[in-house]
Amino acid sequence: MRRVNFVLLGLIILVNLYTIALPFLPNIGYWWHNRGGDKPVSVAAYIKKTTNSSNPNEDTSGNRIIIPRMSLNTPLLEGPKSDSFNLLKAGAWHLPFSTDPTQGGNMVVAAHRFSYTGPRGLFYFLDKLQVGDEIGVQWGGKLYHYQVASTRVVSPTEISVQGPTDDTRLTLYTCTPLFNPVNRLVVVAKPVDEGATP
Amino acid sequence: MNEKTKFWVLLGLLVLSIALLVYLSTQSSNVLLG
Repeated sequence: MRRVNFVLLGLIILVNLYTIALPFLPNIGYWWHNRGGDKPVSVAAYIKKTTNSSNPNEDTSGNRIIIPRMSLNTPLLEGPKSDSFNLLKAGAWHLPFSTDPTQGGNMVVAAHRFSYTGPRGLFYFLDKLQVGDEIGVQWGGKLYHYQVASTRVVSPTEISVQGPTDDTRLTLYTCTPLFNPVNRLVVVAKPVDEGATP
Repeated sequence: MNEKTKFWVLLGLLVLSIALLVYLSTQSSNVLLG
């Protein structure tokens, strides 16, 4: 019985360590990836790098968002607002009432900051983005380049950030802070060019 | 505390720990504005 109790105690410690440590683990990977200083990468270089090193069977066609600073190259999911729960659980959701890169106006993409189930929060590192960082949107076979123009924290009721705009912009948002996410972190990026073949 | 009592206490704590992890895994905060 003593041995069984010892095993149970070990299991309790393991389960709780996993629960506590999991939200911090992405930071360790980020630190390791960016060790040795700041290494901003261009969108084109990041696409080349991830295409070479990723699974050759992975489908990298279709509409995608590429953010080198966040080591992110992921599909943009499309779907109605009524299905937002499942779409956000699955990845980065292009809000259907916003525009796309070919239309001008405000293109809005939202994703979770962190979740215990995969994918573990695609916008976990959204707070790492800095003004001037490059963002790419692969849309309809063309690559559209954006540069981060501003980042700010707003309350969840501030719906104006996802409303239509006169200028062309890309708006990304997620929950913040990481724990007890009572606000939203909003990143606005402005286009750099009209779109090129990736 | 005898070993049998310890066993039930530890088993209860393990079940609670797993239940917490399952609960957190099923929770998804509402990202959307509005």
